[in-house]
Amino acid sequence: MRAICWSLLLVGCLTLSATAHAKAAEPERIEIAEIASLIAEPPRLVVRVGEQAHLLITAKLKDGFDTDVTDQATLSPSASEAWKVEVAGGVRALKPGTETLVAEFAGQRVEIPMEIVAAPADEPPTFLRDVLPVLSKAGCNAGACHAKPDGQNGFRLSIFSYDPKSDYDEIVKDARGRRVFPSAPDESLLLLKSTLALPHEGGERFDKDSDAYRALVQWIRTGMSFRAEKEPALVRLELFPRERRYRPESTQRLLVHAHYADGSMRDVTALASFDSNDKEIASVSEEGVVRIGKVSGQAVVVGRFMGVVGDSQITVPAERLLPPERYAALPVRNFIDELAYARFGQLGLFPSEGCTDPEFLRRATLDTLGILPSPEEARTFLDDPAPDKRERLIERLLAHPAFPDFWANKWADLLRPNPDRVGVKGVYLLDQWIRESFRANKPHDQFVREIVLAEGNTHRVGPAVVYRDRREPADLTTMFSQLFLGVRLDCAKCHHHPNEKWGQDDFYRMAAFFGPVKQKGAGISPPISGGNETFFFATGKPVKHPVTGETMEPKPPDGPELKPAENADPRRALADWMTNETNPFFARAIANRVWAAFFGKGIVDPVDDFRLSNPPSNPALLDALAAEVVREKFDLKAMMRTILRSQLYQLSGTPNETNRADTRNFSRSYRRRLPAEVMADAIAEVTGVPNTYEGMPPGSRAMQAWTYKIDSRTMDAFGRPNSSSDCPCERDVKPSIVQSLHLANSRSLHSKLKSTETSARVHRLATGELPPAEVVTELYLACYSRRPTDEELTLATAAFSTPGATRRTATEDIFWALLNSAEFVFNH
Amino acid sequence: MSLHRNCAGHTRRDFIQLGLHGALGVGLCDLLRMRAHAETTSTFKPSASAKNVNCIMIWLDGGPSHYETFDPKPDAPAEIRGSFKTIPTAVPGVHFSEPVPELAKCFDKFTVVRSICHKDPNHGGGNHYMMTGAPTPVPVNCGASVTFHPSFGAMVSRERGVRSGLPAFMASPDNTRSGGPNFLGGQHAAFAIGGYPNSPNFEVSDVVLPKEIAEGRAQGRRDLRTALDRMQRFNDKLVEDPAVVFDEFYQQGFDLVSSPRAQAAFDIHREDAKVRDRYGRNDMGQRMLLARRLVEVGVSWVTINWGGWDDHRELFKAYKGDKMKNLDQGVSALLADLHDRGLLANTLVLVLGEFGRTPKVNKDGGRDHWPHAMSVLMAGAGIPGGQIVGATDAQGYHASENIYRPEDFAASIYTKMGIDPHQTLQTTTGRPVALVNEGRLIRELFV
Repeated sequence: MRAICWSLLLVGCLTLSATAHAKAAEPERIEIAEIASLIAEPPRLVVRVGEQAHLLITAKLKDGFDTDVTDQATLSPSASEAWKVEVAGGVRALKPGTETLVAEFAGQRVEIPMEIVAAPADEPPTFLRDVLPVLSKAGCNAGACHAKPDGQNGFRLSIFSYDPKSDYDEIVKDARGRRVFPSAPDESLLLLKSTLALPHEGGERFDKDSDAYRALVQWIRTGMSFRAEKEPALVRLELFPRERRYRPESTQRLLVHAHYADGSMRDVTALASFDSNDKEIASVSEEGVVRIGKVSGQAVVVGRFMGVVGDSQITVPAERLLPPERYAALPVRNFIDELAYARFGQLGLFPSEGCTDPEFLRRATLDTLGILPSPEEARTFLDDPAPDKRERLIERLLAHPAFPDFWANKWADLLRPNPDRVGVKGVYLLDQWIRESFRANKPHDQFVREIVLAEGNTHRVGPAVVYRDRREPADLTTMFSQLFLGVRLDCAKCHHHPNEKWGQDDFYRMAAFFGPVKQKGAGISPPISGGNETFFFATGKPVKHPVTGETMEPKPPDGPELKPAENADPRRALADWMTNETNPFFARAIANRVWAAFFGKGIVDPVDDFRLSNPPSNPALLDALAAEVVREKFDLKAMMRTILRSQLYQLSGTPNETNRADTRNFSRSYRRRLPAEVMADAIAEVTGVPNTYEGMPPGSRAMQAWTYKIDSRTMDAFGRPNSSSDCPCERDVKPSIVQSLHLANSRSLHSKLKSTETSARVHRLATGELPPAEVVTELYLACYSRRPTDEELTLATAAFSTPGATRRTATEDIFWALLNSAEFVFNH
Repeated sequence: MSLHRNCAGHTRRDFIQLGLHGALGVGLCDLLRMRAHAETTSTFKPSASAKNVNCIMIWLDGGPSHYETFDPKPDAPAEIRGSFKTIPTAVPGVHFSEPVPELAKCFDKFTVVRSICHKDPNHGGGNHYMMTGAPTPVPVNCGASVTFHPSFGAMVSRERGVRSGLPAFMASPDNTRSGGPNFLGGQHAAFAIGGYPNSPNFEVSDVVLPKEIAEGRAQGRRDLRTALDRMQRFNDKLVEDPAVVFDEFYQQGFDLVSSPRAQAAFDIHREDAKVRDRYGRNDMGQRMLLARRLVEVGVSWVTINWGGWDDHRELFKAYKGDKMKNLDQGVSALLADLHDRGLLANTLVLVLGEFGRTPKVNKDGGRDHWPHAMSVLMAGAGIPGGQIVGATDAQGYHASENIYRPEDFAASIYTKMGIDPHQTLQTTTGRPVALVNEGRLIRELFV
């Protein structure tokens, strides 16, 4: 058995004798593995005369890895009367018959039986099966080209082919039939333009010697049928390999098979388009060649063909996996840790050390309450020798009066309408309803039910305001599916979701639940929307499919036919389905949101974008969390407790050799900038000088602000969401120049340091009796929840003896320095 | 095939890189631009000088009347032409209305486009259309502040990035209703310069040291911060440590505060008293002066948000008052000053509101909303002086010659600033969006 060399494969070198050369170039990459066998996918080919079929040739190695050798393997015989090899792994069938192909590589061989069948004579190409895929692959209906809202130069196609009939008419019937010329297909404008025989702004899309060209010519010549009489529907796309582990910097060809309702299959590799969810781990070319990057991790490559998607799962383990004993020695507090370590084991990640007490105190308080611990709380916690002090802290946090506003604010981000649109009173009422819900620790399913089923007057019923804002069934569909199910159906409003299975049917059947929601009262017409209206259920007003005009029966995406009774509000059936414990989306979506609030990112991230091409970083963990949410009857505090207690949450942010590149598996804590409201409140709290907000009672915190219109330069700088922007947006959490300038120089922070109010911390410390070292210690406890190290104490107290410094200026300056440091600005 | 598009959006890492590169002056914009170039066969080739063009946009919120400024209709019936006379301008044969005498005198420095129009008669929608180049996808109220699409300033900020610590996009006293960044993200929101620049104690907040902090003490503070900011930084790019980006911004922020040139620019009190007089000793005049000082040191986009142009009542009385006088004086002084300093060639000046006003004077002596005709003043960055582009009909009802849409206006602005108007952006959900949908250039601005 011959050995092969990884670095050779990645440069695509064919000769195996060049090992020495590669070794000299990059000796550390050399790794020897032995080939156990060679396999072919598919194991057997069925192909029509004239068509091309593709094979994947894979070397199975003794170390458990597989490697794609399609490009290196030889296919023999390379040509015969019945077929010819056109590209690596690609064979074109020429004559009917039963044949055998042999693939050989490195002394191994595999036989592939091949059945070549005659192309049916009475089956001319159709627009749906043969033409539209070609145009899509050529990019004609790209958003920047003929699928722009107004088309391009009078030729308009539907984006992602959502309206094939209109595309057909556009080509065959529009422009006075100039685009196709059946008596001389080669003279069709469609072909002249795309081959650049005539000037075409989009350049050459294919040449005259391509399958694409031949398919179009053949279709035009044979009468341009739209679809064959019994043309089977495309039901499924299959990618080869379905899942595989890879070495860094290796390559892999993909194959795409389309499966039809009648059981037939078609190789659509050349017509599919591809996309990777993480281009650093794996990029994919337009031909479906995956290139694995240098970092370990997981990725998904999605193949797309005519609105149907399939996936190929990619795992790139770390160069070195760790022995199980190392994980066995780690502390396990609950199932989170067990499932996380299991994942780490597969990926070669080892978790960082546990965090320190001050880190835990500050992090847990910020994540649970959005406030900083006071210096007194910090002292008490740090000096507490009890081994269960973290558990006791967690209980205090979950019962803290700041809890409801912090969590309500997260939902207000997503639900809060623009007061210019729905009126100030409605916005306020909805805000108060959300806060009240969290004060009552309303179970999440009930919270969502009350929104989905909202009825009544927008000046009385908070959640009804959501309906005033999202006035159309389509708007509600987008919002509710994204917020409560974690599914972005928005794309499917107009066309097939490019990377998911959702189509317009899914969208408008979901929308049909909201058709019978009626309103009466003052709408949102100009010039102001201060009025109120009442929302209620009344039969009628069905939702129609925008392309077919068909009346849609309500059905949730991927859900069962619910068949609500004729005179019943169908939203009840929807709410029952959503909040049912077996719902595949609901519990996962909220578990993931809560997780992201504590870890800085979701197990599925973005948190509201669950899809095939955006898989969870740890599916088992997400499932277990969702199960717990269900078990705890949607009391989210129970899940928060589990999270806070886990070792995973209590990890340090300092990376080790194995996990420095891990940014999605939570093997270390990720630093996060304090959000806008938290920052504004933290500054007020640590300086002892409260903020005042227009239209809010004295002593109100930023976390209680109910509209972005309440002036705050600090909150603006730190990216509070602006509800005049049209989306339920995730917050901007990036650092920016404006933030640095604001913290360093702003009048408001300056005046808080200069304040002579009795509550002001600087004033109190400067006019008090504490020795400098204790002044410094209090500032450290206030800003960082820890005491200074000896070295820090020396450096900081030196500020008191700087020439010209007073006790006051030194306190101000040290405080300023701490407030402008990363340790303050970040939750770490 | 080169046209295959990718709709999956950016990877997480793309966004993290934005932070890093943004700090270093190459941002996601470059990434996107490269991608846009790869995806479409864009032939956009900005001139080298376009990349240095900055813009001052004077936004007259509410919608100024085209009749009583740059498009008088002296031959229309009395209920349309109103009570003002026309006045000659620096260009023989072209007349303005009497409230803008100073602008009439310096018409040789700017173009008036009389034929930009749209169909949205609400302030909210009109604002959005003219401030972003994109119409609102749904009707919005008059009182509305909405954003569905990035504003010019935000887009410019993304393309230009932070230069020597200066935010690229500033607005004074605050941002306009639809001036937000939308999906470009909060770091491209306008840096607001509030306050009253005509007041003796005016200072620009956040970019200058508080007055009581002398330079020596500020240095001491910075040293102290350097000594005490000890949280470990992970410079390995793979770690994606946001504190590293944070450091970049702090360094730039300190550079800005210690740059004598930038600090001088923010201090309007250092301006020659005669120059200050020339702009008019009022807040709006002084804002224009401040805007000049800002673009002079490299701020890319300054919006002056000037409300109060929604004259449904007693328009003629209002236009005889200070508002119009201040506008006329301020804008003409700005153009003359930019010209005298040799800055007009790389400063684009825009004066406009969301729409024009109704032809018939209403019963209250005012004019109502009218998007079918409006006048837009455009100057600098190679735009010819003394030029009227397009025309409205004899009574000023509709743009009637060389009609341009807001998309064309947007495409022209971006092109003047060296930004490809036909690039495709991606929203945070990965949806591709044309920066400007089908905008063509206003040819007369590019001669």
